[in-house]
Amino acid sequence: MVCGLKGVISILAEPVVDIQKLSFTYSGSAALALQDIDLQIYPGEFVTITGPSGCGKSTLALCLAGFIPYAYPGRMEGSVSIQGRNTRDYPAGGLSGIVGLVQQDPEAQLCTLTVRDEIAFGPENLCVPAEEIQERINYALQAVGALELMDRPVHTLSGGEKQRVAIASVLAMNPLLLILDEPTANLDPFCTAEVLETLKQLRKQNISIIVIEHRLERLVSITDRLLIMQNGKIVGESTSVESHRKYLPIKNKTGLQAGKTPKLVKKDQGKPLLSVKNLRAGYEGRDILAGISSAAYAGETIAIMGNNGSGKTTLLLVLLGILKAHQGSIEFQGQDISRLKVARRARDMGLAFQNPNHQIFENTVAKEAQLASLNLSQNSEQEIASRVDHYLKFFDLWPYKQNNPFTLSLGEKKRLTLVSILAYRPGILLLDEPLVGQDSDRLDLLMAAIQEHRDRGGITLMVCHEPDVVAANCDRVLFLDKGKLVIDRPVNEALALLAQMGMEEYLPSSHTFHSVSKEGNLI
Amino acid sequence: MSSYHNAFQKRTTSIIKGFLPGLTYVENSSWVHRLHPLVKLVMLLSFSLTVFGVPTWVGGLILFAIMLVFYGLAGLGLAFFYRKLRFIMVFGLFILIIQVLVIQEGRLLWQADMGPLNLSIWSEGLFGGLSMMLRFVNIIGSSYLFVATTDPNRLTYSLMQAGLPYRFGFMLITALRFIPVFHYELEQVKNAQMAKGIEMEGLSPGKLIKAVKYLLVPLVITALSKVDSLAISMESRGFGLYPQRSYMYSQSLSITDKIALVIVPFGFILFYLAMSNKVA
Repeated sequence: MVCGLKGVISILAEPVVDIQKLSFTYSGSAALALQDIDLQIYPGEFVTITGPSGCGKSTLALCLAGFIPYAYPGRMEGSVSIQGRNTRDYPAGGLSGIVGLVQQDPEAQLCTLTVRDEIAFGPENLCVPAEEIQERINYALQAVGALELMDRPVHTLSGGEKQRVAIASVLAMNPLLLILDEPTANLDPFCTAEVLETLKQLRKQNISIIVIEHRLERLVSITDRLLIMQNGKIVGESTSVESHRKYLPIKNKTGLQAGKTPKLVKKDQGKPLLSVKNLRAGYEGRDILAGISSAAYAGETIAIMGNNGSGKTTLLLVLLGILKAHQGSIEFQGQDISRLKVARRARDMGLAFQNPNHQIFENTVAKEAQLASLNLSQNSEQEIASRVDHYLKFFDLWPYKQNNPFTLSLGEKKRLTLVSILAYRPGILLLDEPLVGQDSDRLDLLMAAIQEHRDRGGITLMVCHEPDVVAANCDRVLFLDKGKLVIDRPVNEALALLAQMGMEEYLPSSHTFHSVSKEGNLI
Repeated sequence: MSSYHNAFQKRTTSIIKGFLPGLTYVENSSWVHRLHPLVKLVMLLSFSLTVFGVPTWVGGLILFAIMLVFYGLAGLGLAFFYRKLRFIMVFGLFILIIQVLVIQEGRLLWQADMGPLNLSIWSEGLFGGLSMMLRFVNIIGSSYLFVATTDPNRLTYSLMQAGLPYRFGFMLITALRFIPVFHYELEQVKNAQMAKGIEMEGLSPGKLIKAVKYLLVPLVITALSKVDSLAISMESRGFGLYPQRSYMYSQSLSITDKIALVIVPFGFILFYLAMSNKVA
């Protein structure tokens, strides 16, 4: 009887993925990365897996793609079957053609020089005949809406385009299951919207899709089933859009409440702490910043927004002098600093880069955190060490104090670079996408640190792609478009203007700013 | 970011330009461009071996003329040759002058008595020098032509289809793919370390070593993480799963190509024999 029932279910829908009691421990680690996972995924399902960093999401992806147990040393218990094939019976990559994996870094997963070669790469490895490969290229590019990219060299693609090509290159292998591990983590809102639209389109294809993602908001409407992971376990499951919404992070927990007028500094009172006039800078004689003028006052937190290539990062580099402006002036405390060396300017401006890997040099977290202070502050070594300790505790990095910073996760590395900057208390914080890789609790820590900096009269300039965070925590928005400053307004007015311009990617999910734009006489 | 990226790529090429101006593939659809990469490679090898084998300057001159004809056929012309190979020509002349001044053997061809300075040109010096200069110019010039007319991507795919193990071929292709990526990464590392107060401007040699250390560690770490992603990405698409793979574009040799593969080396051997006999 029981057998019969099971039989009926399996005829109705044979699961694509069948995970039984899966546990995994990386060798050299005592903690279980995955613990007693049981999971079935059925054909055509769109599953989103979310959870705090380090919860085991990516490990689960590696298990599903068949890279664990053989490509990563560790102890695996239980079993993972993909369409009835036990992953233990296949070498790493042996399930290609059945499972496709798309990773975070769009740059590092393309291996050939042209889009066409890239998409042909997988089918070629599977010895698919030439005529069929051409058909598959057309199908795959069509599925991601990128037929026009077919003849482009890979290095000329934007991040979003690279990610779509990466998805297409996997689709060309006709997988039954597509796994995307934080596919939009490295992308700006414009490219993110592009990739999400692609995911939406992919639902029409008859394949199962698993997306691993921190940022749930935009996935909720297309997700069939949402799984929440914590400490290597699946702790929650939701099967309808309404119940998915319960798992969205609660908005506006910290800092200023959205809607509440931020503490505005009257511009005609007092002098700006930092001001730039007609700033022009770029590479090879081409301007990336085309004449920027603005000013920041003590205690302001300013968001810098705009698409890729609009000059956000360039602006931060020019302020610090890493890139020399070829026109215009930069004044700090009333003095022109545009001729000062970077090392001198860095005492007043702490820049945290987008990718923390570029900054890490020392072999322990504590030493790494102290390095900038030792170079830039006048304080004694003891004082530096105690401040660093304070911030390491504050940012949940204390347990890793003696670890090699290379072993930290992306989010932890980003917090480490923040510690190294905050420890020497520069007057201006320049933060390039500090939120990447941070879950909502850590986001609160970051905002608290910025609030503390603000209370000391410090300025924060933050490149930020999260409209909700901007609305809740910033005083002002600078919006760049092709190197020009098109919006420089208090946050509510700026968001209203963006709404008028139709830049929906930059608007908070929970807000309608149209009413504001009617009341305030803008433009 | 992409505009930022492209700017760096431009900078990379400008660095190479300092040594060998514009030594890159020049996209065109000339007859020489369309030649099968393998045929071109065999032509280059035969040509180069003949250049070394042929002992006389007359032979060198004939080879030089053949090379110029191919430059013409490739649609690159004398202007290109002058622009790109100026420095090579000047260096060749320099070799010639040294030879003429130093080697004083054979017949005396010309002499000028100017008090303390006695200038004389001897046959061995002049002809030996000419021959050396032509060898130098011919080797560099022909390699230059090969690079300018052969798409490295197509060359690699052809070599793989001709029997080069595909793992080696993709080593080359991924290297070409990642040169601009790592250059961009290095620039990022430099910026990040400057922001920490590590001086990169106006360095003394002592500080330079330290600065290089500060650049290399993060660069290697970044490179390792990229390589890790790349390996997963390639393996998850079945790379290395089978000893053979198929190719979307067949780079197979036509009958004319196959004939050329035999005739070209044969022709150069004949030319070499003719030139050697002349000396004997």
